[in-house]
Amino acid sequence: MIVAEAKPLAEIQGMIQGYRKILIAGCGTCVTVCLSGGAQQVEILAASLRTAWKQQGLAWEINEETQLRQCDPMFVQQIRDRTGEYDAVLSMACGAGVQTMAETLGDIPVLPALDTLFFGGADGQGGFVELCAACGQCILSRTGGVCPVARCAKGLTDGPCGGAQAGKCEVAKDTPCAWQLIYVRLLRLGQLHLLKESTPPKARRVHPARLVREG
Amino acid sequence: MIVNAVPPCQAACPIQMDVQGYVAAISRGDLQEADRIIRRTNPFPSVCGRICTRECEFVCRRGQKVDEPVAIRVLKRFAADRAESVVPCGPEKPYYEERIAVVGSGPAGLTAAHDLALLGYGVTVFEAEDELGGMMTRGIPGYRLPLEVVRKEIERILSLGVEARTSQVLGRDFTLHDLREEYQAVFLAMGSEKSFCPDCRGVDLSGVLTAVDFLKDISRGERPDPGEKVVVIGGGHTAIDVARTCLRLGAGEVSVVYRRTIDEMPAGMDQVEEAQEEGVAFRFVTAPVEFLGVKTVEKMRCVKMKVDKSCKGKGSLVCVEGSEFDIKVDSIILATGYGPRTEPVQELFDSLDGKVEIKDGSGATNMAGVFVGGDFLSGPTSVVQAIASGRTGADSIHRYLRSLAPVDTPEPVVLDDLDDQVAALVPRAQRRKIPALPVEERIKNFEEVELGYTLEEARAEAGRCLNCSAGAVVSYECASCLNCVLVCPYEVPRPGAERAEIDISQCQACGICAGQCPAAAIDLGLDPREKHREILREVLDRAGREAPGAFVLQFMCDFRQSRVPPSESGKAVYQVFRPGLGRMDVYELLAPFQAGAAAVQVAACRDQDCKFKDCAGWVRKNVKRAARVMDDLGLDPGQLSIVQE
Repeated sequence: MIVAEAKPLAEIQGMIQGYRKILIAGCGTCVTVCLSGGAQQVEILAASLRTAWKQQGLAWEINEETQLRQCDPMFVQQIRDRTGEYDAVLSMACGAGVQTMAETLGDIPVLPALDTLFFGGADGQGGFVELCAACGQCILSRTGGVCPVARCAKGLTDGPCGGAQAGKCEVAKDTPCAWQLIYVRLLRLGQLHLLKESTPPKARRVHPARLVREG
Repeated sequence: MIVNAVPPCQAACPIQMDVQGYVAAISRGDLQEADRIIRRTNPFPSVCGRICTRECEFVCRRGQKVDEPVAIRVLKRFAADRAESVVPCGPEKPYYEERIAVVGSGPAGLTAAHDLALLGYGVTVFEAEDELGGMMTRGIPGYRLPLEVVRKEIERILSLGVEARTSQVLGRDFTLHDLREEYQAVFLAMGSEKSFCPDCRGVDLSGVLTAVDFLKDISRGERPDPGEKVVVIGGGHTAIDVARTCLRLGAGEVSVVYRRTIDEMPAGMDQVEEAQEEGVAFRFVTAPVEFLGVKTVEKMRCVKMKVDKSCKGKGSLVCVEGSEFDIKVDSIILATGYGPRTEPVQELFDSLDGKVEIKDGSGATNMAGVFVGGDFLSGPTSVVQAIASGRTGADSIHRYLRSLAPVDTPEPVVLDDLDDQVAALVPRAQRRKIPALPVEERIKNFEEVELGYTLEEARAEAGRCLNCSAGAVVSYECASCLNCVLVCPYEVPRPGAERAEIDISQCQACGICAGQCPAAAIDLGLDPREKHREILREVLDRAGREAPGAFVLQFMCDFRQSRVPPSESGKAVYQVFRPGLGRMDVYELLAPFQAGAAAVQVAACRDQDCKFKDCAGWVRKNVKRAARVMDDLGLDPGQLSIVQE
């Protein structure tokens, strides 16, 4: 899933300054799961902004809506007719959702309420951890299912840097060393021989990537 | 996984009362709503609240797995006694032309009359006694069921336009034929009060009485002297009622003689215990052989019995040879079984087995338009069984008169027992003792023994209900984040194939998952989210109008016994109640500020006092999160606080 977190309220307030009628749009997929941009967070952000405006004596209007998936124009189309009345849309989706909405709505500012952080998985209640860097050339078969591209602070793909202590990364002391994890996993799998194979260099990614299924 | 099922208390009740619904209403102090829910299916709640055999309590899931069952009967009594009397609203005059005769005004007859009157029929009730009520007014002693309680319920039924004719005996003053001439349908519910006497020599001696006649005399205000030594024969409620009555009449030694064991007594164990407390002695596996005396009974010859368990059912009884012994008595009262008086309607009875012939469960006899019900059909049962039978009778008569097909009601799916691991996580809370008159005081008179709960006691007891079947339901909006799996203190939600699944049979309805669901996809049967939002909006609108910018909003828990937390002086205080504050979300804590609140107070329980596991902790977390948002907004987070006494 794509993991994102809400921007500081002050930043959001700065972004929407000057707009008097705003639609806050949540997204029902990844950002709901990571507790950042689902229906409940939309409600909370709307209440927060209304309270802030009330404090300033402003009677501007905020409405709320949550799409199933903002990164698909077909879902965004469903609200297109209703968005004409707004000065701006504050999207609580990831960057992909914000852009799809901006593209689909076309003539209305679509502003991000979240910072998109990483591709990751759940890590206990309320916790999420980065697991994939979307490099486009997966090597997990050689690394015991632990990605050094995403999980090694230095992105090393051919073994540890040597700076780790007690299994922890020298860059961030509470982060496990990805290469230690790889070693332990391969040991358990009886596949330590894979470490002797060198990983071929990856082709440099050209952005933006596209994927088109052949019909 | 069960997603929709009936709690066992409701399923076990012969009239399928929405127990969970009215108990929840009592827990939030809404007695009118509780009374309204009860009266939907029961026109005699204050009677059942006193003498119901409470099938519901025996299957209560709290009693099965956690500690003791919820005191459902006493809670019903509390709601029915305390709710303001609202006269049921029936049609001004009968809607239908057909008129219906009900013979017998016990719980079955009067319930049928009540339901038929509400359906729009003109109903006339015929009663052989000089007062309506059957065994409720002419059988059960006042120390268990005060007459005025029954009379009040009967008045409500009569206020629907039901006509009552007392001292009218079927077979003496009118016949079934007469009724069929004048009425389009007849409901026969004359009860089961013909005593079966044991086949003993001496049964005709003076001093040998039947329980029904004895209790009828008592209910009319007579106070006969039963003598010093009284023996009551039988093991049902009536036997216990008679024995306790005799104590109140001044008898010195009262014993109940029952031919089987204590476990096989049809009387409720609570009644047996109360009788024992008062001094009634019990002789089990003992049967009378002969009543001895000259004109007046002086002795009873008994024999010990043995239960032969090799036989089917309860086992057959065998006399123990040579075990005869005599008991000195001044009177013997027989409570050894009852049957219907068949003579006035002999044509309805099978000549071979003496049972009334009915076509099906509707109670329709072979005679068109004549229906039977209550104890008259089933033999002696309980008030609630009779009410159920009355309801069936009314429904059957309505269908008969309107030519409606019978409705095939499917058997309800009943909630499973709580899993042991879930039950182990439910905080324990002992059942509130039911206040009663002290023994030495109660045996002196016929005052009601049980005193009922106070409001605080009733709310606390109602708060013990596990709210079975009113728990969390996951909608299609679920994003499968599985946050519910992680936050549930009872470990009930599970990752399902398509979304999170919550087994309604295990859910405790604390609502913590609903408060933490990022997709707002979880709702509870116990007050849905939309209802809460609406109430909050209404209160905030009112507060905003009445005290703009200067009001305090307090969130209160339905299950807290004490409801008055400290408030800010000089500010108008508005309160919003929730069935557990753990189900609130951060939005609800912020919304009052959006409406101009000066402060928001959350009257949370202390961890050890809370009905729900971990609920107080989640309240603290939510308040902390909301306070962070307030800080970000430049508001004083101190405006939002948890208040405890």
